[in-house]
Amino acid sequence: MQNRIKELRARDNLTQLDVAKLVDVRRETIVFLEKGKYNPSLRLAYDISKIFKLKIEEVFIFESNT
Amino acid sequence: MKTKRKTLMFTSILFMAAIWAFIFIEKGTNLFKGYDLIIFILIVVLGVIALLSAVKKDKDEKEGIPIEDELSDQIKYKAGYYAFFISMYMWLFIFLFKEKFPDLETLLGGGILVSAAIFYFSKLVVKNQFNAK
Repeated sequence: MQNRIKELRARDNLTQLDVAKLVDVRRETIVFLEKGKYNPSLRLAYDISKIFKLKIEEVFIFESNT
Repeated sequence: MKTKRKTLMFTSILFMAAIWAFIFIEKGTNLFKGYDLIIFILIVVLGVIALLSAVKKDKDEKEGIPIEDELSDQIKYKAGYYAFFISMYMWLFIFLFKEKFPDLETLLGGGILVSAAIFYFSKLVVKNQFNAK
């Protein structure tokens, strides 16, 4: 699963720490998310999308293997 | 919550210092020989790791960053799973070579300390290799 967190963060002038504080996770989690090393829970994905005022599917791009 | 954590940290340091003072008085220079030295080093290393992590958590809490979240929980569960299996094999080896240990206390104490060290090590490995499928 890919995501546009880094791009959207730059658009809104937010640091990783700002995003982390807004969604109540550690900065490390945002780093892992941006690197594509971690798939968030539905709740976290929803919270992140809400920060950028976008739908989940506009922030997280799911690529099916089938 | 912050006061509780600080009190807990302070009590832990005091408790550890008291234990070490007691061991030094009891064993003296014999402490730095054989298995006692290995156990001493393990306790110091684990104590330093615990202290550093407590200081980091305290700093994060002051900055308003959550100490734990869903990723840290997943890392903890995965590391716990690995540590459990590795520790089982470790205990098997310890009991296979039990005659190499001077007494039962060293065998059990050493085993428990190594189990804790395995958990910390597993946590480090999982953290570095965490990869979503």
